[in-house]
Amino acid sequence: MTAPQPVIRAQGLTKTFGQVRALDGLDLEVTPGEVHGFLGPNGAGKSTTIRIVLGLIRASGGHVELFGRDPWRQAATLHERLAYVAGDVALWSGLTGGQCLDVLGATQGGLDEARRTALIERFELDPTKRIRDYSKGNRQKVALIAALAADAELLVLDEPTSGLDPLMEQAFQEVVRERRKDGCTVLLSSHILGEVEALADRVTIIRRGRTVTSGTLAELRRHTRTHVHAVTVDAPAGLADAPGVADYVSERLDGHADSRFTIDAAHLDDSVGRLHAARIHTLTVTPPSLDALFLRSYDGDAGPLDAGPLDASELGEPAEAAR
Amino acid sequence: MTATGLRAMLGVQWRTHRRGTLVWVLALIALMVGTAGSIAGLYNTPEKIHTYAQAVTAGDALVVINGRVEGIDSLGGIIADEFGFFAAFLLPLLGISLVALMTRSEEEAGRLEAVLAGRVARYVPVLAGLTIASAAIVVTTVAFALGLTAFGVPATRSILYAASLGTLAFVFAGFAALLAQVTLHSRGVYTWGLLILAGAYVLRGVGDVTKTWVTWLSPLGWAEKAAPFGDMRWWTLLIPLTVACLFAALAVLVAGRRDLGSALVGGGAGPARATSWLRSPIGLATAIHRASILAWLAGAVILAGTMGSLAQQFIDAVLGNPAMAAAFGVSGAQPVDEMVALTQLYIAIIATGFAVQAVGSLRGEETAGRLEMQLSGRLSRLRWLAAHGLVIVTGVVIIVLVSSVVLAAGMAWSMGTPVNLGLVLWAGAAYLPAELLVGGLALALFGLRPRAFPAAWGALASVTFIAFLGPGLKLPAWLLDLAPTTHIGSPPLGTVEAGQLVVLGAIAATLGVAGAVGFRRRGVPQS
Repeated sequence: MTAPQPVIRAQGLTKTFGQVRALDGLDLEVTPGEVHGFLGPNGAGKSTTIRIVLGLIRASGGHVELFGRDPWRQAATLHERLAYVAGDVALWSGLTGGQCLDVLGATQGGLDEARRTALIERFELDPTKRIRDYSKGNRQKVALIAALAADAELLVLDEPTSGLDPLMEQAFQEVVRERRKDGCTVLLSSHILGEVEALADRVTIIRRGRTVTSGTLAELRRHTRTHVHAVTVDAPAGLADAPGVADYVSERLDGHADSRFTIDAAHLDDSVGRLHAARIHTLTVTPPSLDALFLRSYDGDAGPLDAGPLDASELGEPAEAAR
Repeated sequence: MTATGLRAMLGVQWRTHRRGTLVWVLALIALMVGTAGSIAGLYNTPEKIHTYAQAVTAGDALVVINGRVEGIDSLGGIIADEFGFFAAFLLPLLGISLVALMTRSEEEAGRLEAVLAGRVARYVPVLAGLTIASAAIVVTTVAFALGLTAFGVPATRSILYAASLGTLAFVFAGFAALLAQVTLHSRGVYTWGLLILAGAYVLRGVGDVTKTWVTWLSPLGWAEKAAPFGDMRWWTLLIPLTVACLFAALAVLVAGRRDLGSALVGGGAGPARATSWLRSPIGLATAIHRASILAWLAGAVILAGTMGSLAQQFIDAVLGNPAMAAAFGVSGAQPVDEMVALTQLYIAIIATGFAVQAVGSLRGEETAGRLEMQLSGRLSRLRWLAAHGLVIVTGVVIIVLVSSVVLAAGMAWSMGTPVNLGLVLWAGAAYLPAELLVGGLALALFGLRPRAFPAAWGALASVTFIAFLGPGLKLPAWLLDLAPTTHIGSPPLGTVEAGQLVVLGAIAATLGVAGAVGFRRRGVPQS
């Protein structure tokens, strides 16, 4: 766990399938002990990246290390230390859920028996049913339990909760947190932003086979702007020219000053001070949500996040912004 | 009820299955018309036709295999006789596979759910599948009738013969549609369809040998009793047509009433834990291949048992009639050995079929995404492949040895004298290099060009064609030599050259190694 090198390090990965360029210079670094959110729209190259990291397919170019080694050459040895849930869970339709758990567990060098039992109960799985009689969500549970019950240093989860209901999603998040407390590193590819926001220490956002941005959620938020809507008794003094403030609009409504503006995180304190001086009636401060980061990163040909600050209209509240 | 969405459904089914359907239909037409043409060229005088007729009617062995053809003393009769075995399986299989692909396979994959959510009535997919399968059967039938006429068979007789085969395919298409409603998986449709087909084949054989009404119990018997080259009983076509319509109507009725994804035969609970055997790579590989090993073994055992228990009739026929022996392509000097040699060739083809299908199921593991899961553990690719290779080779050996024992036992029972079991076993074992060569080819495709895997089935079909019909059709030597079975030397009748076996084995091993190396180097999954 205290290994100095990153668990996963990919630099400038490229992968072409015939004419299609699936990865185009992708970077990814996962450090020990963290839950790393891996985000991107459909077809961005998340599963391809994961398969290269696992040594299932070979990169066309770039450099990749798993536990500091080459995953393509030492796949089987390195796999002893990780557990994987594929994006499309496929199991043997003739076997029961319990049998599949054991078979998958065996490929990972055995499951922790106590955890296996506890997880079956927690995820409400009937292990005597045959896979062909399971729903998609239950098949997903089998693969998840097998991975979460394994004694692994690294969990690689490719959209693991796509078939789960909210209750099971909750259980999944709890278990992932527990595993992280045990010192496990997690690479979590997901579409569910709430899940990533709830679990991830750091995220990497990719689009069209390239890394758009990477960092802690706080770091990412720092590049974006907070939206402020204040109603004060007096007109706030000097806000329009205050450092960090943009898109400032103020008007008098029903005897109050109604002000809207965006502010970068570093200057929030100063501007709220000025609002306070003007005697606050109501105050709404909306931090940038991950959705906004996400949409911004995915949107069209927008450049990398740190190329420039986001403007307020991109940060949600479209109804107000349109007014 | 109005068939809501039938047109749309026909469009969807045709669009998604036209390639497979066309390949099936064209291959079948080419095979049937091509074979008919070769026979027409071979038996081009009344004398030759007469000699042939004399030969095959001399005993019961060929009657069991090809059926009792009325009016065999004609070109059409010979074609019907030569085609007896193939037509009995290929045409029903055409109906079964097209219907299974367009009904239960679609439902199993969940695609039907999306379709039925639209404006499509629940029974319409079955109706559409049956319609397209029927169209494919009609096209095949018409083309075959035209082909026969072109080679000089009287037109009305050609039409009746082709129609008798077409209605046979209809029966099994309808039956498969019904099976698709009562079994949960398309595998069940194939398994039960083929089992019933095997039963129909046996009934027809028993009826033909005993010359009793038993023949009339079998759909294959109905086709035969149309007697296209004898009395031309057109009315018998009504039986298969009626039965096919009944099956189809029942299938449509059940489809309209049952829940989507349900079946009349369901699954129960199973063990909650896997045994340590199942957890091992070989144990899991065994679990994956067990059902198909048993199915192919059952086919080989039925064949070997039938042939073995008719040994005495065969010997009588061959000993008493050199022309009969010639019809088998044998000399008639050593009837026991000839019997064994002929049966072992059939067994070899069955074992080869298993090998190709089993390697194909590895590709299935990959495309389904299960291979990716297994290789994400500490199991290396080569160990995974080795475990499956071992199980597949064991399966081939089991099929060959068990059916050889059954053949020997059947012969001993029929002739009332002990049979040299070692000789029979050796004859079966001698084919192993040829079987493994085709399996190795399949493995090489899997490792190097996984998307081209269907070519392995093409190779199996070619080998089967050359092995069974090649010598009879007097194909050129270079063509015969393409089939590895040709090089075995037809044991125990001919001499097996150890050198040939070694060469075949070496080619098989090379192909296998090439496949393994390719598999280790390529990406998984490769879609």
